[in-house]
Amino acid sequence: MVEPSTDPDLMNAIIGAAPGSPLAELRAQRPDILRHTQGSHDVLLSPDDPGGLSLAERALVARRVAELSGHVALSNHYQVLLNTRGAPPPNPRTTTILTHAERLATAPGTATKAHLATLTAAGLSARDIVALTQLVAFVAYQVRVAVGLALLAQEKAA
Amino acid sequence: MNGGKFTLEAVEWDPWLAPVEAATATSKQRAALDASPQANSPYFRTLAHDVDSLAQRSPLFHSVMYVPRGLKRAERELATVVVSIINGCVYCSSVHARRFVELTRQPEVIQALYDHGLDTPLPPRMHAIVDYAAKLTREPAAMTVADLTPLRNVGMDDLEILDLTNAAAMFANANRLMQTLGEPIAPPPQS
Repeated sequence: MVEPSTDPDLMNAIIGAAPGSPLAELRAQRPDILRHTQGSHDVLLSPDDPGGLSLAERALVARRVAELSGHVALSNHYQVLLNTRGAPPPNPRTTTILTHAERLATAPGTATKAHLATLTAAGLSARDIVALTQLVAFVAYQVRVAVGLALLAQEKAA
Repeated sequence: MNGGKFTLEAVEWDPWLAPVEAATATSKQRAALDASPQANSPYFRTLAHDVDSLAQRSPLFHSVMYVPRGLKRAERELATVVVSIINGCVYCSSVHARRFVELTRQPEVIQALYDHGLDTPLPPRMHAIVDYAAKLTREPAAMTVADLTPLRNVGMDDLEILDLTNAAAMFANANRLMQTLGEPIAPPPQS
């Protein structure tokens, strides 16, 4: 299976910051943030060993969180990834994972220990649960960075 | 706003998954923990279950909060407290409210946010930071370029706005980890 080619820096691609543009230069003043934002994306969406949270499930979760956050460009990015990987089967396990992801995205304060037990019962290990949580939390971060950068880009274009 | 739950006192955190134990940690887990702010904390040992994401996140978090120049550290801390109040993360708000107070000696700012909510009167620059962080947290899709105007009006440059954005976004992340993998608990009594 061939993954869609990923821009070396996804965030710059999402906000349309060409190499050498004012936004790309601004971001380059924070090299560790650039590197580890991209690195977080890569290890959460395309880990060498996905464990018990499949690559398709990861793409589905990321797409849903981006969609719930109202970020069209990131939703589209993850939809393309999901199309490449094929949607996970619509079964109780997938529903359990998505329901939890939606809760974390929209109402993290309502999560309880019992929700983690539900994930365990659906076959997720401790590592899978942490990876799912990190993935939702990462996309919540990514959406907001993309929004803030887009505002700066619009301001410069005005 | 507060309902009495947000505090300037120290709070601890109790995980809902058994954390990785130091004795059985792999060398990769040990390295990722050593690069985290507190290698022994139950929080980082819980995140160590997925070691590759922890190994990326710890240096990301560190740079967002501490990278030199740009937005003042205290102003980054203020933004993270605002995000944590909105999301209801008692643990995060306690830790970062205390950092803000260490840096500014202004506990009254935090207390006003806790007691009277995010619309409480504050000096203009703090008020602009609070408003921007709050809207980015609550409705990122509704942000427009006009939301930068209050920040420009108090003199913020591009790098400061980038740092503010990164700090608020980092706590969209941190709150979700803290709030959904465990819960805040009162510290044990001092002996």
